[in-house]
Amino acid sequence: MTDALIYLGCAALLAGAIFTLLAAIGVLRLPDLYMRMHAASKAGAVGGGLILLAVALVCFDAAVALRAIIGVGFLLLTTPVSAHLLARASHYAGYRADELMEIDELKSKSGQSLM
Amino acid sequence: MSATVLSVVTMIALVILALALLLSVVRVIIGPSLPDRVLALDLLTVSAMGFVGTIAIRTGRALYLDIAIALALLGFLATVGFARYILSRQRPLSGSGGEGHP
Amino acid sequence: MSPAAIVIVLALGWAAITGNFSGLNLLFGAAIGAIAVLLLRRAFAPPRALRKLRRISSLALLFVYELMLSAIRVAIIVVTPDLKSALRPAIVAVPLTVKSDAEITLLANLITLTPGTLSIDVSEDRGVLYVHALTLSTREALIADIAKGFEIKVKEVFE
Repeated sequence: MTDALIYLGCAALLAGAIFTLLAAIGVLRLPDLYMRMHAASKAGAVGGGLILLAVALVCFDAAVALRAIIGVGFLLLTTPVSAHLLARASHYAGYRADELMEIDELKSKSGQSLM
Repeated sequence: MSATVLSVVTMIALVILALALLLSVVRVIIGPSLPDRVLALDLLTVSAMGFVGTIAIRTGRALYLDIAIALALLGFLATVGFARYILSRQRPLSGSGGEGHP
Repeated sequence: MSPAAIVIVLALGWAAITGNFSGLNLLFGAAIGAIAVLLLRRAFAPPRALRKLRRISSLALLFVYELMLSAIRVAIIVVTPDLKSALRPAIVAVPLTVKSDAEITLLANLITLTPGTLSIDVSEDRGVLYVHALTLSTREALIADIAKGFEIKVKEVFE
């Protein structure tokens, strides 16, 4: 039983580390700010959450496990909020996406409010 | 048996996370605009949180978990603050004075 | 007797039977108790509260599933050698049918953590949510996707 939990924790830890690395690769490789935000907010949240989950699985202490799980919930709540705030702020401040962008239905609106 | 597996796996995870930290730092340095750098710093904090969490597993000390959660909180607050700064730098908010010289 | 009280009693019973009152064991007992209460809900519970609980858990399950899916999809896009052809970014205005602040907040957060979408802004009249898509197929498909998936579930939870 405890061994199974440890192996499960190891799997979660490795998956979390790999997702974090992929988020970093995404932030480095993707061509513009908003696309990088996808990588950082999704893969980053999943990576960090999986590592905290691994801590909860491997330690055999209810108080620690509970804190780790609360930490996962906290991470999943705050990451989208910070990504959303940053995206909104940069769009209003006039950081434009690159020429790949197909439709930008927010552009005209923010253009008006900038005046 | 499981102790050796744990030790090896945490070592591998530490190496992967170190690589992730390095890549985020590259984006912080080259990032063409301020939001890019803020985003990379946010990811840097999450990676650092993962690093500390892995060390918590490796050493078996629950104290590190609290550090990891505090780091996550700090990263969130820092990003919120930076978003506010980006917004006010380019478009001064009404009543907050004109600090936004381009 | 409310379902929560039943779960607590079942958890205490589980701990007593296994002879271990540690927190982890109590949590395990509570989880088993919750499953039992869910299975036997018709026998002793007022249906409303449990239906809401079931909707919340169904939303949570959908969310975890979509979150894993989205992380994997972003990961696949990130490691594609030919990035430019894999990406079709766009910002789409999605009309909202949910109205209250709590519903919009929940929906925006869910959208950010699901495949290929990131919420950017809400219009002043709370009628439109601006969503950035990483790999857009068509505008209509994206809007229908959100309206049929999360929006219905969010509404069910809050009704």
